[in-house]
Amino acid sequence: MKKWVWISAIVLALIISIVVVIYKSYARTSIDGVTSASIRIISPGDKNIEKTYVHTQEKTESTWLNITNVTFRKEWTEYGGPRVVIEYDLNEEDVTPKTPAYIFIRYRPENDGPWQLLNHELLEGNGHGIIDYPGHKESYFWGGYEMAFDNFVKAEFRVRGIKMARVPAGEFVIRTLPGGGKDDTQVHDRTPDLPIFHIARYETTLRMYTDYLNEIASTEEIGWNFKMKDDSTCGIRRHKAFLGKVRFSVTPGREDHPVTQISWYDARGFLHWCGLRMPREAEFEKTFQGGIFLDGDAYRENPNPYPKRSYPWGETPPDANGIYRCNAYGIEDGFPFTAPAGSYEEYNSPYNVADLAGNVEEWTLDWYTTSYHVGLDGYRMIRGGSWVEFPLVVDIISGATKSPILESGMVGCRGVFDAY
Amino acid sequence: MKRREFIGKSAVLGSGLAAAGMLSPKPSRATSANDKIRLGIMGLGGRGSFLNTRLAERSDVDIIYLCDVNARKLGRAAEEVRSRRNTRPKMTQDFREMLDDKTLDGIVNATPDHWHALGTIMACQAGKDVYVEKPLSLTFWEGQQMVKAARNYNRMVQVGIQNRSAPYFMDAVDYIQSGTLGDIHVARVFNMMKHSPVPKGPEEPVPNGLDWDMWCGPSQKAPYSQGRWWFNRWEYSTGGVLGDQVHQLDVVRALINRTWPDSIQHMGGVHFFDDSREIPDTQMVTYAFENKLTLLSESTLWTPYIKKTPMTIRDTDTFPDWPFNSTRIEICGSEGFMYFGRHGGGWQVYNNDGELIKSVHGRQSTDEHLENWLQCIRTREKPTGDVEQAHISTGLGHLANISYRAGNRKLDFNPATQKTDDVEANKYFTKSYREPWVVPENV
Repeated sequence: MKKWVWISAIVLALIISIVVVIYKSYARTSIDGVTSASIRIISPGDKNIEKTYVHTQEKTESTWLNITNVTFRKEWTEYGGPRVVIEYDLNEEDVTPKTPAYIFIRYRPENDGPWQLLNHELLEGNGHGIIDYPGHKESYFWGGYEMAFDNFVKAEFRVRGIKMARVPAGEFVIRTLPGGGKDDTQVHDRTPDLPIFHIARYETTLRMYTDYLNEIASTEEIGWNFKMKDDSTCGIRRHKAFLGKVRFSVTPGREDHPVTQISWYDARGFLHWCGLRMPREAEFEKTFQGGIFLDGDAYRENPNPYPKRSYPWGETPPDANGIYRCNAYGIEDGFPFTAPAGSYEEYNSPYNVADLAGNVEEWTLDWYTTSYHVGLDGYRMIRGGSWVEFPLVVDIISGATKSPILESGMVGCRGVFDAY
Repeated sequence: MKRREFIGKSAVLGSGLAAAGMLSPKPSRATSANDKIRLGIMGLGGRGSFLNTRLAERSDVDIIYLCDVNARKLGRAAEEVRSRRNTRPKMTQDFREMLDDKTLDGIVNATPDHWHALGTIMACQAGKDVYVEKPLSLTFWEGQQMVKAARNYNRMVQVGIQNRSAPYFMDAVDYIQSGTLGDIHVARVFNMMKHSPVPKGPEEPVPNGLDWDMWCGPSQKAPYSQGRWWFNRWEYSTGGVLGDQVHQLDVVRALINRTWPDSIQHMGGVHFFDDSREIPDTQMVTYAFENKLTLLSESTLWTPYIKKTPMTIRDTDTFPDWPFNSTRIEICGSEGFMYFGRHGGGWQVYNNDGELIKSVHGRQSTDEHLENWLQCIRTREKPTGDVEQAHISTGLGHLANISYRAGNRKLDFNPATQKTDDVEANKYFTKSYREPWVVPENV
């Protein structure tokens, strides 16, 4: 009898061990590709900063900007109380004032709790928001209404970065009427002015979006649909995982392709998660063509040679002389479906922004405004061309009106960050 | 009258052109029950794109061609097909390319009004069955030519008057024909909406990828400017009222079991908009039918408080708010009163004491209408929304517009000659065409 008790106990222990190993294995793989670190917060009032536990990030490989040596530690300040110091190295040579980086930090106060965006207003230092130069960065987090140190003993942080382009304030030539150009009751300014803004240089990639899904998946069943499994236009797989959790992965080789099959709400969800928003149509057009002065109205030293250009690179048709300048219809450009983001960098826009003409169309913030098709109230504007369009028409006026719940293999998104 | 009888009877009413149907049928591709029906879509605006996606959902259909004069429309439509069927249709800006394809069974014509007739007639001549969107024709005469073409070439021409395929519509026809409402002497249709001004702007360069000459087609070649300014010009459109009102006219004509009126009088005009439009924004029309039945048609384009049946109701078992429903039909009988809502909305009947005595829910029926057409391609039976019935319903709208163009004059109509008693008015039964896109006299 005793023998069977022992054998049963051993078998049970083995099963428990296997389950734990599988769970831990899943937990590790589920955050692959994320710049992540955790810190154990010392109880409030503990001024012995030497005891602070410092943890470096786990992995840096991703479409996100190359960030290494991420550390977090807690410091005690004489008058301000405790603060978390976030340090890292930004290793991107082409981060410049014209093409800066956008850095956002997300955290969760407890294991398995929901991740939250660390609001930029709660941070001090040079390591968050828009960053003009690479190198070592530091930001300081003093806590805030949404995160008081008193409430938890451990936190995890993740740092991610996106390549951006700075679009200086100033006038530009707008080529379409806002809202689809159908509402003739609106006054239309042909050379409107826009304040400075920053826009992502690349369309949101599958790796970025999958990272987002994996982070929110434990708490929210949003952002993914079965159409995304289509490898030709998307390629995100949803895996059932241990203890009811799910995990998402990208079809190998498609990591840097733009995400598609996302609704307007999905795009908003991702960008909101980053602390970004979608561009307005006017911002899309200005990025596409450049302003009247490429250095903005404040300087007016660099006039735009083609302020009314048809394509981001000028007037030359996308497939002229057998040279393909963007990913449009056909296989001659090298891609039957989507192309990795930034595959035609030679033909970027005046602000060095890629794939505005082809590859995938992009959701914008603008509503479709017309009174004729009343049924289209609530529709949103899409701008830019895509891989299914004839090359000639992936131009400045390319766009469409679509239901915000549309999930299409030709529509993706990119983010905008307002300067402040 | 039962619905089957109604459909059968409707099919032989009108101009008697059916007799010509056996004259010169062109051989068409044999389409067995197991074959997929091979289609091309002509015109990929809002409605054409919608029909493309509905048809792409069907496993018994292969969409072989997508055609639009605007190349910007093609890729998007192709992706709608690819994402559903994993096939890539051929894309073209010239519809003649698909008419030349002997393997094609039919085309869907969802072009602007001024291309409906010639596109349909040429397709019939090429041996293709046709699903053509409403309104059937730009002019009265074009509708006549389309009926001739369908009959002469033995083509199944279904028109996008999809309310006819809704079961609740057929039930309403049966109900009225049973006599429950008593004698019917008045029917009213409404189509009150809110549009925006659409002035024609200054001439602009034609955008990349748009074959503007082909877009203008049979009509005058206008200087290009963006927007839907053409929507209220006789040369390109029947206007915001008739384009939508034809659904109402078609339904009410079936409910009251009438074809051509004895007389028509239009009142109204361009009363609200100041955008140089030609086609009225306010149309009050009286149709006098046989047996002392008067049909009143009230349409406006500037009444925002009266709404079309909301999308949230169209596919549910919910009745609209009738007094503020812009697409309701009212049947006034001596023993009762019926509200009927098109594109879903159902119908309800009140007795002489104002008590609700009958309620039937209804839903949209585009899929049923397409199904009927596809079945007819196989069986060679006349479709539910046959071109001849659509011609009569659209003809009522044309007659109203003709009355307006003749100075809001009352017109007596002769069904036998298909003309009015007014020489001035009869000039507006047709129009001139631009070479080479001439709607032929002899089809």
